[in-house]
Amino acid sequence: MQSRVKQIVLSVWVAAMLAAGSALANEKAEPDPAQSTYWDPIKKIMFGDREILDGKDIARVYLPLKADDASTVPITVKAQIEQTPQLYIKTVYVVVERNPSPAGGTFHFTPESGRVMIETRFRFEDFSHVRAIAETSDGKLYMASRWVKAAGGCSAPNGRNFVPPALMGKMKFKFEDETLAYDSPTLVQLMIRHPNESALASDFDPSKTPQFVRSLSITYAGKPVMSAEVDFSISENPSFRFYFVPHEKGELRAEVEDTHDQRFTQTMTIVSGMKLPGG
Amino acid sequence: MKNPILTLSLACATLLHGAAFAQTTPALNVVEVAPGNFAHYAGFEERSPQNLGDNANVGFIVGERCVAVIDAGGSFAIGQRLRQAIRAKTDLPVCYVILTHVHPDHFFGATAFNADHPQYVGHANLPRALQQRGKFYVNTLNRDLGDLAQGSEVVMPTVLVKDQLELDLGNRKLQVRAWPVAHTDDDLTVFDQRTRTLWVSDLLFLQHTPVVDGSLVGFIAAIDQLKAMPADHYVAGHGRSALPWPQSLEPEQRYLQLILTETRQALKNRKTLEQAVDTVGQSEQGNWLNFDLFHRRNVTAAYTELEWED
Repeated sequence: MQSRVKQIVLSVWVAAMLAAGSALANEKAEPDPAQSTYWDPIKKIMFGDREILDGKDIARVYLPLKADDASTVPITVKAQIEQTPQLYIKTVYVVVERNPSPAGGTFHFTPESGRVMIETRFRFEDFSHVRAIAETSDGKLYMASRWVKAAGGCSAPNGRNFVPPALMGKMKFKFEDETLAYDSPTLVQLMIRHPNESALASDFDPSKTPQFVRSLSITYAGKPVMSAEVDFSISENPSFRFYFVPHEKGELRAEVEDTHDQRFTQTMTIVSGMKLPGG
Repeated sequence: MKNPILTLSLACATLLHGAAFAQTTPALNVVEVAPGNFAHYAGFEERSPQNLGDNANVGFIVGERCVAVIDAGGSFAIGQRLRQAIRAKTDLPVCYVILTHVHPDHFFGATAFNADHPQYVGHANLPRALQQRGKFYVNTLNRDLGDLAQGSEVVMPTVLVKDQLELDLGNRKLQVRAWPVAHTDDDLTVFDQRTRTLWVSDLLFLQHTPVVDGSLVGFIAAIDQLKAMPADHYVAGHGRSALPWPQSLEPEQRYLQLILTETRQALKNRKTLEQAVDTVGQSEQGNWLNFDLFHRRNVTAAYTELEWED
């Protein structure tokens, strides 16, 4: 289902590219996101006719205006509301309009996620509007967008170095705080050693399925913290930063699956007052 | 000499072809940095139809038997102009075209030497790098130069260097050295023993901001080894300097070492990639050309490499 949607999105993207003309690729000024010819077909496929409200009071998207390395562009989506059982952000969709696979990341949260924030690194094929659509627990959609100048990240070569097979799937947790405290949002980074092969990179052999991370699921003490469906829009050695709220001694667990059906797991038992890795 | 008539007619054809070629193709400016070693110093502007991709230093070494080209420039057109510069100095054939690494500003002129049937010499990792990047580099060259990119194509090396290789140009021996991952994962240097001239290519950046496209740690390690190499003359991959060897390595070493130290510090202080990119190495800004184009990318490369250190 997921890949079928992707295929449709891809073909719409190709059509939009043709319609928009390649001259757009070189535009220097920041265009109006409301005028984008790319967005409408993507929106139709992802959300049908649902209304999308202005997201500035719900979730905002942060990223550098001019990306320095199109293969590694940090994107952050931050909630402007607290997660409460009554009302919380359940899903954040990150759309890089002009990427070959525009819906590169879908992130799911729960009331236990604490504060909703997701920071990751994307590849950019072209200058593009980036849209973060937050879906709240009452079923409403809110959108924020930013324009980014970066080009060539998806079809650019994979990797400065090969990920040696022995290191494939190696994971690390890194924390913002030095010591763990219960009951407060704790910012953690999950790092995954993985080439996250782009289907568009020059070395991609069409007879092979490119190997990239397609899903991840993070739990703490058995409860979901964050889960995501992602693709090769994410940079090599994927990195995700997000919050969770520990209330007691428990296991932080990350499960990752790639398109070659390889599964990787990382766990860490955490307890109040412990020194947290990250420095 | 077995068939004098054929040899003569070939010579005539070459002369005729050469005359037509000379009328249309200007020669690159070259400087004789040491006897028999000719370097062309390129500009620092971004690639454009005006400069045709003349953005990397290139050159050639003339022996008694033949000529070795060291990098061919950023397009077929630049390669032709380099070939023209060689023709202005010697009639000896080009027997080797040494491709110091995969980057397009050094590489795309290679096809201009196809007619000379040289051996194309590259690092053992170069074929893989070309396979990964060649198509992308051709596309972006065509985007930037349009019709002027015509003829620029990927050439696969015919001789691979894993460690060291000696080439004999006739009473002139060149040592080609393959490096572990540094500027890229396929860097070569060339040393002319007779004049002790070291062609450092992009293991040495002068004036132009150094570029890390392999490993920052590896690049710094390579500089330490380069410093131990004796040389009376040298040619950098970009820029030039009045500094003697090996002091000429010091500005680059200082820059890379600063990025290493400050990025490790940022990681230790639990800074994010974005925070690191905004702060690391900013004190070097005034010391380099094209700093805005390359510096922040270098920090991104440094951060994503060093964050996996334990």
